[in-house]
Amino acid sequence: MDQVIFESVTKKFRHRPALFNWVGRERTGETVALHDVSFAAAPGDVVALLGPNGSGKTTTLKLISTLLLADAGSVRVAGFDVQREAGKVRRQVGIAVAAERSFFPRLSARENLDFFAALDEVPRPARPGRIEEVLRDSGLAEQADTLVMKFSSGMYQRLGLARALVKRPSVLLLDEPTRSLDAAATAHFWATINALADQETTVFLATHNFAEAAAVATRLLLLHGGELLADRVMGTRFSGDQFSGGRSSGDPVGNGGSADELRSLYFRLTGEPDTGSHQIGFAETRAAIRGRGAAS
Amino acid sequence: MNPTLDKLLAILRRDLLTAIRHRSGFMVTLVGVFTELAAFYYLSRAIGPGFRPDGVAYFPFLLVGTGLYTFFVMSAQAFLNVVQEAQQTGTLEVLMTTSTSPAELIILSSVSAFGGSLTNLLVYVFAGVAVFRAAVHANLLSCLVVLILSMALALALGIFAATVQIAFQKGSALVWLLGSGLWFLSGTLFPVQSLPQPLAVLAAALPLRYAIDGMRGALLDGQSISALAPTLSALAIFVVVLLPLALGALSVSLRRARQGGTLSFY
Repeated sequence: MDQVIFESVTKKFRHRPALFNWVGRERTGETVALHDVSFAAAPGDVVALLGPNGSGKTTTLKLISTLLLADAGSVRVAGFDVQREAGKVRRQVGIAVAAERSFFPRLSARENLDFFAALDEVPRPARPGRIEEVLRDSGLAEQADTLVMKFSSGMYQRLGLARALVKRPSVLLLDEPTRSLDAAATAHFWATINALADQETTVFLATHNFAEAAAVATRLLLLHGGELLADRVMGTRFSGDQFSGGRSSGDPVGNGGSADELRSLYFRLTGEPDTGSHQIGFAETRAAIRGRGAAS
Repeated sequence: MNPTLDKLLAILRRDLLTAIRHRSGFMVTLVGVFTELAAFYYLSRAIGPGFRPDGVAYFPFLLVGTGLYTFFVMSAQAFLNVVQEAQQTGTLEVLMTTSTSPAELIILSSVSAFGGSLTNLLVYVFAGVAVFRAAVHANLLSCLVVLILSMALALALGIFAATVQIAFQKGSALVWLLGSGLWFLSGTLFPVQSLPQPLAVLAAALPLRYAIDGMRGALLDGQSISALAPTLSALAIFVVVLLPLALGALSVSLRRARQGGTLSFY
């Protein structure tokens, strides 16, 4: 059964200017954040939401996490409707957002995680072990008792992942998760994600980093201006050459084309230069994954 | 352990740890309490013993009026702060994706802050009695009933403040209204009978007025529950009407915020 299903989802944001704003100028009307978007993701899928700024990536994540409600269409997570069964959906979903200052600054990393774990109804006896595990997986074991107000951006980002994982979600939502991470932390991060996907966790990754999306995803959704331009199934995760081996997933949006066409389309939409860096591969990540495999 | 109790303990622990690590906060509050009491004490002395509103000395009258009024404002402010701080720090959206329902989360999050305003009230009244020798003849049972109803009322007002913050990003407006209009009309500093007739009618429609009247009767006059029945009934009616209304309004505002994508706006 598919873990996340979008059916003809449309989301608009209305701009209501202030009533008595005679001095400044404000935008009026509405922004179509998503228009008639449909896709489905299975357990173990790593789905990259790829697109330039304002393409609808974060809106997609927020709809899955119940933070937003769709104007039309339906979103289902693990069989539950996000509008009518939001509570059940939230039990399934972990989210690590880009703005990772979203912690209580005068609590340590461990105390923050304990707090969020309690709200996520992780049973009290299981919490210490679970927190140790996610701190280790996110590379924060040594900073566990440091107040988070002393954290760097990268450490906040890792703690965001730890927080999302502590309830063991079946759907993990990541918004630009490696933006502040160094190379070693990134490798460690993707190795963790790989292990989660092996355990059938469905991972959504919003990014405008084409190289990263091509390297880590089993599925690639290209969004632009709220439209789903392409939905492609990629090769196996982290093989390093998935992109050239990509294939259309039944061409649901009528714009599957070849993998190279998708790449060209992406770089044309974003205006970024296509340096071909996505073919370099993720050697460090693959090494970290092998290391994990050997350790287990 | 019951999940709700577990969540409440986690929230209390978070707030306690944060308060402890803000080392100077408690001392500042304590100094504020004593400064305010001293000001009211010397004001009542300046006015003289001849002024006995509702038949009691002016300082105890002020002690109960301002103490309870501060309790209401602090409680409403506490709820507002819970939402406002979470919006500003970016925790609100993350909190709203946990397995805890938004309404439960806001109410539980406010409990410790609510505890803070209750502690403030108790310290205020205790200091007024012990240090400034305010004469009290308390009926403890009546005091407890008035306090419980006042807390329920403060809960409703606090939820309204949180609702206004989520819906219009202006919860502070409600607290301002509480801090100005209600202060003037609810008999905090002088008996409402002193107001002109139209304002006295308006004052009769304010729930705070009954809470303050009830507490004065219970704490300063030792009135029994039966003697306070009309005041307690009025207070109970306000609670029964306002609390479900506040919870309904919060639910609607949260849904509208999810629809409009304004949950984290401030």
